[in-house]
Amino acid sequence: MMRKLEFILRRLLSFIFVLIGVSVITFFLSRVVPTNAAALYIGPRARPEDIERVSKQLGLDRPLPVQYAIYMRDLLHGDLGTSIGTKRPVLTEIVDRAPASLELLFTGMFLAALIGVPLGVLSARWQGKPLDVAVRTISIVGVSMPAFYLGLLLQILFFRNLDWLPLAGRVSTDLRFTNPIESITNFLILDALLTRNWVALKNAAIHLVLPALTLAAYPIGLIARMTRATMLEVLEQDYIRTARAYGIKDFIITYLYALKNAISPTLTVIGLTIAFALTGTFFVELIFTWPGLGLFTVRSLLNVDYPAIMGMTLFGATAYVIINLIVDVLQAWIDPRISLK
Amino acid sequence: MTAVPALSVELETQSTRTFRHVLSVIVRDPLSLASTIVIILFILIAIFAYQVAPYPAEGAGKTNVANTMLAPSAGHILGADRLGRDMFSCVIMGARPALIVPIGVVVFAILIGAPLGAIAGYKGGWVDEVIMRITDLFLAFPSLLLAMAITSALGRGLQNAAIALIISWWPWYTRLVRGVTISLRERYFVEAARATGVRDSVIILRHILPNTISPILVQATVDLGTVILAMGGLAFLGLGTQPPAPDWGLMVSEGRDYILKQWWISTFPGIAIFIVVLAFNLLGDTLRDIFDPRQYR
Amino acid sequence: MNKKSLLFTFLMVAVLMLSACGPAATPTLAATQPPAPTKPPTPVPPKVLKIANTATFTTWDPVKSFSTEAAYMGNMYEQLLRINPPGSAEKFTPLLAERWESNADGTVWTFYLRPNVKFHDGEPLTADAVKMSIEAAADHGGASFIWWMLDSIEVVDDLTVKFNLTTSAPIDLIASSLYGAWIVSPKALEAAAADENYFETGIEAGTGPYMLESYKADQEIVLTRFDDYWGGWQPGQFDKVLVVIVGEAITQQQMLEGGQVDLVTRIPNENLDTFRNNPNYTVYVEPSFFNYVGFFNTLRPPLDNAMVRQALSYAIPYDDIITIAVKGLGTQSRGPVPAGVWPWSADVKQYTYDLTKARQLLADAGFPNGGFSLKLTYAAENDTEAAFAPLIKDSFAQLGVDVTIEPMLWSQQWALSKSDPANAQDMFLLLYWPTYSDAGSDNLWSMFYWTAKPFFNLSYWKNDQFMALVDEAIAKTVTDPATSQVKYIEAMNLLVDEAPGLFFFDTMAVFVIPTYIEGFKYNLNYPFTQYFFYQLRSTK
Repeated sequence: MMRKLEFILRRLLSFIFVLIGVSVITFFLSRVVPTNAAALYIGPRARPEDIERVSKQLGLDRPLPVQYAIYMRDLLHGDLGTSIGTKRPVLTEIVDRAPASLELLFTGMFLAALIGVPLGVLSARWQGKPLDVAVRTISIVGVSMPAFYLGLLLQILFFRNLDWLPLAGRVSTDLRFTNPIESITNFLILDALLTRNWVALKNAAIHLVLPALTLAAYPIGLIARMTRATMLEVLEQDYIRTARAYGIKDFIITYLYALKNAISPTLTVIGLTIAFALTGTFFVELIFTWPGLGLFTVRSLLNVDYPAIMGMTLFGATAYVIINLIVDVLQAWIDPRISLK
Repeated sequence: MTAVPALSVELETQSTRTFRHVLSVIVRDPLSLASTIVIILFILIAIFAYQVAPYPAEGAGKTNVANTMLAPSAGHILGADRLGRDMFSCVIMGARPALIVPIGVVVFAILIGAPLGAIAGYKGGWVDEVIMRITDLFLAFPSLLLAMAITSALGRGLQNAAIALIISWWPWYTRLVRGVTISLRERYFVEAARATGVRDSVIILRHILPNTISPILVQATVDLGTVILAMGGLAFLGLGTQPPAPDWGLMVSEGRDYILKQWWISTFPGIAIFIVVLAFNLLGDTLRDIFDPRQYR
Repeated sequence: MNKKSLLFTFLMVAVLMLSACGPAATPTLAATQPPAPTKPPTPVPPKVLKIANTATFTTWDPVKSFSTEAAYMGNMYEQLLRINPPGSAEKFTPLLAERWESNADGTVWTFYLRPNVKFHDGEPLTADAVKMSIEAAADHGGASFIWWMLDSIEVVDDLTVKFNLTTSAPIDLIASSLYGAWIVSPKALEAAAADENYFETGIEAGTGPYMLESYKADQEIVLTRFDDYWGGWQPGQFDKVLVVIVGEAITQQQMLEGGQVDLVTRIPNENLDTFRNNPNYTVYVEPSFFNYVGFFNTLRPPLDNAMVRQALSYAIPYDDIITIAVKGLGTQSRGPVPAGVWPWSADVKQYTYDLTKARQLLADAGFPNGGFSLKLTYAAENDTEAAFAPLIKDSFAQLGVDVTIEPMLWSQQWALSKSDPANAQDMFLLLYWPTYSDAGSDNLWSMFYWTAKPFFNLSYWKNDQFMALVDEAIAKTVTDPATSQVKYIEAMNLLVDEAPGLFFFDTMAVFVIPTYIEGFKYNLNYPFTQYFFYQLRSTK
């Protein structure tokens, strides 16, 4: 117990250190930007006098360390600066768009686990057979396919050619007038569910399919491979052989015993894939015009909206660090054999 | 008594043996063989792009107005893009930034990361702490996000994208090499070397680093796939290679507006990315199976 | 969100995924008519116009507005009057002013306002409101320069306002401007004076037919009809307008084809045939006031030599550029003034694509085989410029002139051009449009009149003769248009001869309108207000 506490404490300390370092890096990055932030604030036809005036207003004429100090003070008050593109606080933008991305991420990761784990298990069970080969092919295709390309292909196939699924967006443009979803959590599926808005529920769900699938491709590949490998390892263990020897039905052995022990490494992989999924959202949200954090980040990067870029980078790194922390702690909890180094 | 030279000779023979072993495994597995051939093929194409491409100037960016949006046909088997440039040549010329640059990125990442990791693992103590803290700091960012932020700060372009990716990737090798170093540190031959008064730097160079080659190789092969995807992604977003220079990711992006009718502009570069990354992943799998079937990153 | 609800959500999603997969019974995207409600009978659903636009808001402040948000401003705000497309029976349409007049020499303009007009916030339209709005625009507006000649504004009575100028100017034209001429509710202006960011939370205070209902940054804008609009409402007009912000042209196109939206703002010219051959759509190709211009850095050798610039002007493949960049939907420019706007004239010269002449001139200038290199910058966001910059490069290469192309973010390109000319670009590609429909005091003056700190004069060119001609022409615009035109033509020909810039082409504006939308008419004087929603009706 003490070791676990010590472990958590150490992780927390390094977490804080890392966050500070992240803020320094992101701050430094965005101040090295060569463009004139004031000019961007005004618009494409900024005039020299206005640039000067807005420069002072944004504090761009102070020395760098002073700017950083101001930034850190604001940060600790929850102020991530004001987006140059939308003229609203960056934190507001993040909070507004987070549900869209989270909904996409959850669905994508859920699909990835839902599809990936059984595929991996089956592949291990029938090792060497055609099923195994098929699964391994799917996995490796999944991790090799560029996300932006896959999104385009799926769009063309399922929207353009087959007309099964919608092109872009979270809901149809009609919906907000015919069956508007009452906004409670901003998770559309959840809100539609809570308000028993079945038309909207179906609409939102089918809009989720393609983006979530595109996002899930890489994780599916990774999870299937990992699950397969761990299952293979576990299946060779003595206690499995013993269970088989006792004649316990194959099915039960495979799914219950082995899977239970394969969960821990699978969790690691899921934690890893979240990083890929996070960066995958940039492309998926761009292609499907999904109004989430990924699209916001891409647009901010292209427009050099420096408060937004800094805010998103900080947020992204923080989220990632937290997730890793959680995965590590979960792992340690589940499997006490894992070293708490 | 020269225990050190004898042992290092033993290590050297071991590595040649391993190399031959690797080759034989690859040759016998059809998928790995195919992947290796594809990789070598593309690398050769990248190096000899100007000789291989039927219209090398067009591949490099020269326009040919007469052929604008030409469909795949005789003389232009993959069609032409909006500026009339032969797609086949464009894809061939695009192999350079798609392959050579990521290889360079990974090499530099190794050159920076591996020695740091070896030093950290070998010295331990506060040197280790400092290096690991810095490594953790960079690893806190999802790689592509950091690369995007750096590219945006430095300015768009192939060079800056490459620099950004090197900065994002070196920590992985530090961590990897540190792990290997720590396990090697306690091995008897290292103890023996230390006992005979061999300098630390020599130990690291001659005994530790050579043993990190295989894990680095496995890691690098798989990383190449990821870096190629990352470069393509950055170019697709407009942060990487700038027009009119050739780049597969950029071509997919440029062809997107016309994908409904003139599908060839986006499709072929996308397939190229996929095939190359696939080849690296398959090869990486095989290498991983050979060297450490238990180790997963 | 705790684990249980997370799990619950996943399960529900899984169940839904399974039920929703497979061919939909009816494609949810084909119908634009609202489907039959599953709830108890609701009132008649509003008539909604759905538009996909690439443009989002740079600012909500009508005074500061100087960018693409004009697409919405033009529907929420009004000016005193609106200028009609060329060839219309009347030059202007009265809006907030019913009529107007000027004195003989055009230095005093009086506007008689329409009675009983209300702002969206309930305030009445008065001369005070006009005075406040224009003064704010002249003071700190994005387009404050259009009011440079304003001396004072007098409130004669509640509905009469007088503009006193320092010199003669066409205020009727200026007051119809796309920027800096919106009439804003005085209450809002006062609030904005106290708080600079008053409007940015998504507030508008105009008199126009549509009001802002809701706004999700970068995602969507919903406008709703202003019931008390002075123009009144007819059946068939739209109750609401939904604008979805979609950055990619190809997505917009597919949304149009799939019925997700009724109108779009960007379709790649190459894809127009899909709609030309489709009886459900009409394709309009109209002249516009957008043109593409290039600037030579006249301070940097060898571009300081007019002969070199002329040579390079003969080395531009004008027709190819139009073919490739806009699929033929453009015409080669005559100088920087787009065709159809004052003071364009067919008497202004044009270069042709003549490499022999180009080589000759270069040789005469002392560069027989070129031998110098140029840095060309363009806005990375602009696909059109990205398409024709390589054509320039390849053509110049034939002269032995090496061009490095550097796409930059517009704001970076802009900032670079304002830096020390020694370090700035050699060639600057620009998409331009006049703020109001006088391209003499706008295009000619803005782009080639020398000022100490260059605004749009990114060739840094200083030519006294040109400046004198333009000064005279501007001064005589109202009092002696004939002479003004003559002086302008002289100035433009001088410009073309000296070639401080390149004049590529005037673009055409393209619109794809479904046949069930009536009333569309493009007013090229308002390039960014592609659609005036009030004019549109649906026959569905």
